Amino acid sequence: MMSEKLKGNLDMLLLAVLAAGPGHGYAIITRLRERSQGAFDLPEGTVYPALHRLEKAGQLDSMWQVVAGRRRRMYRLTAAGQESLAAEARQWQSFSGSVAQVLRGLAMQPAAAPQAALWSGRVS
Amino acid sequence: MSDMRNLPAGSEPVEEYLDKLLLTLSGPPRQVRGTLAEVEAHLQDVVAEELAAGKSLVEAEQAAVARMGACSQITGRPLQFGRPAAALMRRTALAGSLIAGIALVAVGISGAIGWGLAALRGGTFLVAPFPQGSYTRADCARWLAGDPSARSCITAMTSDHVGEVILNSFAAGVLGVLALSGYVWMRRRWQDRGTLTALPIGSAEAVGAILALIVAVGTAGRGVNLELVQQGQGAGEMFSLAVGALGAAAFFIARLGRLSLPHWSRS
Repeated sequence: MMSEKLKGNLDMLLLAVLAAGPGHGYAIITRLRERSQGAFDLPEGTVYPALHRLEKAGQLDSMWQVVAGRRRRMYRLTAAGQESLAAEARQWQSFSGSVAQVLRGLAMQPAAAPQAALWSGRVS
Repeated sequence: MSDMRNLPAGSEPVEEYLDKLLLTLSGPPRQVRGTLAEVEAHLQDVVAEELAAGKSLVEAEQAAVARMGACSQITGRPLQFGRPAAALMRRTALAGSLIAGIALVAVGISGAIGWGLAALRGGTFLVAPFPQGSYTRADCARWLAGDPSARSCITAMTSDHVGEVILNSFAAGVLGVLALSGYVWMRRRWQDRGTLTALPIGSAEAVGAILALIVAVGTAGRGVNLELVQQGQGAGEMFSLAVGALGAAAFFIARLGRLSLPHWSRS
């Protein structure tokens, strides 16, 4: 379930990681794992279709460079990518704030267990 | 770096993964090479990381491949490698449309040649008239109605048959152009290595060349026979088909030659 949620927001997360500076595929997935403190641990190959899609959409651009003796494709955020990231981050913060409000209300309800018992009584 | 010895499966996880990925990727060659290089660098980074953590080379490569996930994660679509039958059908369709397209275009060209031969040596050189007694007065009337300038039934019949042969040839040529358009469309659409390697490279060209040469020899021989035995009646159609078939054979042989040359030497 976590993996599905992550895939749904992968584009935004990749843009956020690249906002800190250009990087290649391995560096991007490593940064994503570190910044999420290990919570976002996707199969590493999944970043490539997302990176290629974002590049095609003009939100990233890439160039080949030799880094540490190895030829790598380095990705960086474009101006369009920065705008898209800002818009998606605003939407996400608004959405997650609303979800947090709802969950906060649920946590404050002390009668959750009796309600469940009542419900099970109604159906039996 | 792997050498070309027959190593047991599983002994080089990264190389095997890259082989499978190459067969799975589709798109323009440069894009395929780019993705392959990108993933290879990534795998080597993970191998280095796992080696530094104390794993053996094979364990480190296995870990790198496991962390990368299935090839379909990279292509972003279901794995095509596991469906060789579909790849073979696509490759066969490509080969069939190329051979059929060139063959039909050759028939169209032979129609134009036949037209020229009929103008030079008369209609009966292109098509032999029916033997006397095999057609009715009504047939004659129909042929004469189609060619009012004809002085005899045989002339009108020949004129009708020449028109029919040329028209059919041109129709075949148009169908050939359509088949070749279909080939170009499919070739652009199916660029994955699974499809392109489902049949040996150059097999369509080799089959096309052999068939075309057989047709060329057969029709030329028949034309010579008609020339000698029937005073050339109908020989023109055979000769024009032979020229068209030779053209098709030349096309396939030239393509075969291009396929066997290294890429940089092709203009």
